[in-house]
Amino acid sequence: MVWRWDILAGYGPLFAQGLWMTVQLTVIATGAGMLLGAAVGLVNTSSLAPPSPPWPVAWALKLLRALATAYVTFFRGTPLFVQILLVHFALMPLLIHPDGGWLLQGDMAREFRQEHGAFFSGAVALTLNAGAYISEIFRAGIQSIHSGQNAAAQSLGMSPWLSMRYIVLPQAFRRMVPALVNEMVALVKDTSLVSAIGLLELAMAARTVAGAYSRYWEPYLAISAMYLVLTWTLSQLAKKLEVPEHARGR
Amino acid sequence: MTFKRQFLQSVAALSVGLFLSGCGKTPPAPVAAEPAASTPAAPAPAAKVITVGTDPTYAPFEFQNEKGEIVGFDMDVLRAAAQKAGLEVKFVSTPWEGAFTALAQGDRDVLVSAITITDERKQTMDFSDPYFEASQLIAVPATSTVAKLDDLKKKKIGVQTGTTGEEVVVKLQGKTSTNIKRFESTPLALAELAAGGVDAVVADNGVVIHYLANNPSAGFKSISDAGFAPEFYGVAVKKGNAELLAQINKGLADIKADGSYQAINDKYFKQAK
Repeated sequence: MVWRWDILAGYGPLFAQGLWMTVQLTVIATGAGMLLGAAVGLVNTSSLAPPSPPWPVAWALKLLRALATAYVTFFRGTPLFVQILLVHFALMPLLIHPDGGWLLQGDMAREFRQEHGAFFSGAVALTLNAGAYISEIFRAGIQSIHSGQNAAAQSLGMSPWLSMRYIVLPQAFRRMVPALVNEMVALVKDTSLVSAIGLLELAMAARTVAGAYSRYWEPYLAISAMYLVLTWTLSQLAKKLEVPEHARGR
Repeated sequence: MTFKRQFLQSVAALSVGLFLSGCGKTPPAPVAAEPAASTPAAPAPAAKVITVGTDPTYAPFEFQNEKGEIVGFDMDVLRAAAQKAGLEVKFVSTPWEGAFTALAQGDRDVLVSAITITDERKQTMDFSDPYFEASQLIAVPATSTVAKLDDLKKKKIGVQTGTTGEEVVVKLQGKTSTNIKRFESTPLALAELAAGGVDAVVADNGVVIHYLANNPSAGFKSISDAGFAPEFYGVAVKKGNAELLAQINKGLADIKADGSYQAINDKYFKQAK
């Protein structure tokens, strides 16, 4: 077996750009996914908070809950790969198309798709996917806090919102940290699927070299090492963020 | 959770899915096509079955029909040639990016997948005599001002990873150019062109012509450039497998001689000219 690491040399800039793209996608999808996931998670647990709200609010929440459940079901129940292709080749052309896009048309649409199309689609798909998983992390975190905490807050005259904001969420969030970092690690790896829509990220750089030389060990080993550095760094961070053993509650 | 609530939620989930997907058709699972039964030319006692790797995302050369069978120009040619040589073929779906490795490792006896015969590839595999002459074509929107390859120097171009089309644009723009957008298949690259994400696609003529014929609404035109050297497709076998190569070459020569090759060629490319 002959190693030919030299074939990677000429592609240095592609790997550097790919790595940067992977990091960007991960950060954006995690950030936006946290906001989305928190919102959906709160909607999903809104039925738990006493007292019962007045009926118009109750009905609005019911509808929101049905939508939120549908969203989570769809994005957790279908492959991310399919979601990426759906967003890029089906949804985006509907919204952004040179002739007759709903949001952007003409040259602006063309330019946007050419410059940022794949990145935008990838970020949207990853965010929607991460949001669905993170909403479940939020739901589990909130439900893990004993209902007595809510009852106690209510007896002090706190509204459901206040009790959620100052009593439940701070405790729940602490418990969510490991799961959230897990989700971020998963996202780092999932970004590789965005190469299917032609985005130049880390996996695409390796596929380009593999396609040009029909050699597989060198390019894929190289990016494996890069992914490992990213995921390992995150895992170390997670260890730091976890609640220390002596401070864990019951 | 009552049944009614469960039911309502699943209906809601489905409608979100349907809204996102519009109306789509799921591709059938890859199934190797059974060779069509026909009268054997010579009584071949228990024909040897060869495993043929192909990436069926390359209409009209190889693609999957509604039943999930692998069909196309390449299949018809190889099946006819193999029959002449007393061989039976079994087509197995093999992703393009790993196809050459599968051949080298012996997972596939033969590759037929619109493979251009190149000197680089000859170092790692052996090729049969050419069975099709191809060239590159540039697909652009009908309104485009592009007239030759050189006009694409500063443009965004879609290609399929690892194809001759990719080599051509890499030569034009350099190997680290970010204007080259690579896709897993030529149809995906063409879908990107339809959405306005690239200015042009460079790919094999057969595929581009086929796409244009099937998607007149896309409003593309194709441009050939004198700079594109003619290329030849060959059947690839593992390096050193001279016996099988000789059988395939004999079969190809036979079908070219008796007119059945021409019949297959007409079937796929006559109306598309």
